[in-house]
Amino acid sequence: MREKLFIRKTKNLIFVSVFLFFPSLLFSFSQSTPFIRLSVKDYTEYSRVLIESSFPPVSYHIEKEEFLIMVKFRASKPLRLQRKVFKSDFVKSLEWSKGPDYYMLTIKTESADLSYDSFTTADPPQLIIDIREKKREKIKGEFSEEKRGISSGVEKEEKKASQSILPSSFSRKKDQKVIVIDPGHGGIESGAKGKFGALEKDITLSIGLKLKNIIEKNLAFRVVLTRDKDENKSLEQRAAAANNNNAYVFISIHANGSYRREARGSETFFLSLNATDEEARRLAYMENNSSEIEKKIEGENEDNILMILWDMAQTAYLRQSSQLAESIQNQLNSLLGTKNRGIKQAPFKVLTGVACPAVLVEVAFISNPVEERKLLTEEFQADVAQAIYRGLLSFIRLNPQK
Amino acid sequence: MVVKKRVFVGLLFVLMVILIVVFFQSGSKDEIKLTSSPSSLESEMRASGPREMRKVVLFFLSERDNLFHPEERLIEVDKSIVLMAKRTIEELMKGSQRGFISPFPPGIKLREVFLCKEGILYVDFSKDIQSRHLYGSNAEISTIFSTVNSLAYNFKPIKKVFILINGDEKETLGGHIDLTHPLVPHYDLIVN
Repeated sequence: MREKLFIRKTKNLIFVSVFLFFPSLLFSFSQSTPFIRLSVKDYTEYSRVLIESSFPPVSYHIEKEEFLIMVKFRASKPLRLQRKVFKSDFVKSLEWSKGPDYYMLTIKTESADLSYDSFTTADPPQLIIDIREKKREKIKGEFSEEKRGISSGVEKEEKKASQSILPSSFSRKKDQKVIVIDPGHGGIESGAKGKFGALEKDITLSIGLKLKNIIEKNLAFRVVLTRDKDENKSLEQRAAAANNNNAYVFISIHANGSYRREARGSETFFLSLNATDEEARRLAYMENNSSEIEKKIEGENEDNILMILWDMAQTAYLRQSSQLAESIQNQLNSLLGTKNRGIKQAPFKVLTGVACPAVLVEVAFISNPVEERKLLTEEFQADVAQAIYRGLLSFIRLNPQK
Repeated sequence: MVVKKRVFVGLLFVLMVILIVVFFQSGSKDEIKLTSSPSSLESEMRASGPREMRKVVLFFLSERDNLFHPEERLIEVDKSIVLMAKRTIEELMKGSQRGFISPFPPGIKLREVFLCKEGILYVDFSKDIQSRHLYGSNAEISTIFSTVNSLAYNFKPIKKVFILINGDEKETLGGHIDLTHPLVPHYDLIVN
C-alpha cells in the first residue's frame, strides 16, 4: 500500500514539475535564439502583415508576383518562428521557407488585384506590410449615414467588405444583381400571433424593409421585396419574384410559433430534399450537372418537363443555400443574443421553386411573450436586419460573382 | 338465496351493458370509419380475450433540444397496415406522456387513411387542423413530422405520407411546410 502511494506521489511530483518547468524552459529557449513573430490583422481598408523580430532590422527585399508577395531576409543564424492564427480578407496564408543564407516569407493573397506598402521601424524592430485593393472605386452610399450603433468594429468590417467584394461591373445600374427579400405572410394570412397581439406579418414586413434599406445603402445590389405592404401574396408568387429577377439570393423572413410558450431562439432553414434514397441520388446527379438541365430546358419546351424542373429548382442550389443559412445563423447568434437553434432543413413550400440560393430565417418566437416584446421593438428589428445583412456579406465574400 | 344471487348477477350484467354502450358511444364521435372499435391502450387493457399487441415508436418534438424523441406505445396487431397506421395516429393525437410537445391541437379528427401501391399513405385530417393550428414553422414541423416519422418508422411498406385536409390537397398548414407532395420521413430531426 505504502509503496503504491509513494509511486503515485512521485508520479504526481514529476507531473507537476514538468508543468512548472516547461514554460520556463521554453522561455529560456526563446531568449537565446533570435526569433521572428508573424501576425496579420485586418483594418478598415487594408490587411496588415506585421513581422516583429528580436534582433535589429536586417536588409530585406520584397517582390510581388500575381497572388504572391515574397519577402526575403538575410540571416545566417538559425531563426525561430512564432506565428499567430489569423483570419483576413486579403491574406490567404503565410509560408516560411529557408534558403542557404536567407529566409523567405511568402504571403499568399486572395486576389492578384492588390497593392502593398511596406515600412520598417527600428524600435521595436519590425517590418510592416499593408495590403490593400488596387482600384479604390467609391461605392455608392459608403456608410455615410448608416451609423447604427452596434460597434465600431462591425461598421469597419462592413465597410471593408463592401469594397472588397464588389466587382467593378456592379457599379452600373443595369448590371445590378437582385436580392429578393420575402417578408413572410401578409394580407388575410397573418401568420403566427403573439399574446400581446403582435402579428407575424407585420414584424416580417418591418424587418424586410429595414434589411432592404441597409443592403441598398451599402451594396450595389438592387433589392426586390416580395411585398412592401400588407397584402396577400401566394408562395408561388414569392418564388417567382426571385426567378423573374434572376435573383442572386432569396431570403424569406419569418417569426416562429410553438405550442410551448417557453420555446425561444433563432434558426435558419434551407430546403430539405423530400425524396427517397433513389430519388435523392438522381437529384444529386442533377445538382452536379445543372448546366445540362438548363440545356434540356431550352431544347425541350414541353410544359411537363418545365413543371417538374421548376418544382425542384431549389435542389440545384442546396449547397450554396446551406452556406447562406450558416452565414446568417452565425450573425444572428453573435448579434441578437437569442438562443441558437441552429441551421435546419425542412421542405418549406416557398423555397422549393426558387432557382438561386434561398433560406428562410425564423428570427425569434412570437409565441414566447419575452421574445414577442423584443420583436415589437425597432431596435431588435434593426439588429435582425443588420445580422442578416452581415450574414449575406460573408456569403457574398465566399461566392463572388463572375 | 339463489334468487338473490341471480338478481345480483343480473344487475351486474345490466351495469356492464350500460358501461359498454357508454364506452362505444363516446368512441363513435371520432368518426372512425375503418376501425370497428376504439383502439386506445386503456380499452385494450379492459377488453377481454387475448389480443396480439405490438409495439410502435411515436416521435414527439422536445422543446429543450428541438429534436424528436421516441415514446413507445402498444397497439393491436392487424393484418391491415392501414388500420395499424390509423391506430398509431390516434396514439399520437393523445399526446406525449413524457411532456414533449403534442403534435395536434385538441379536437382534430382523423377522417380517413388509405395506402396506395407506391407506398404513399394518404392521411386525411378534419379541417380544424388548419383552423385551429398555431401557424408557426415550429408548430407545423411538429405536427407534420411527428406524423410522417412515426408512420414511416414503424411500417416498412409506408415510404411517404401525403397529408390531406378535409379530403383535399392543401398547399401548407399555415404557410410553411409543403403539403403538395407526399413527404418522406425526416430522421435528421430525431434525437441521436
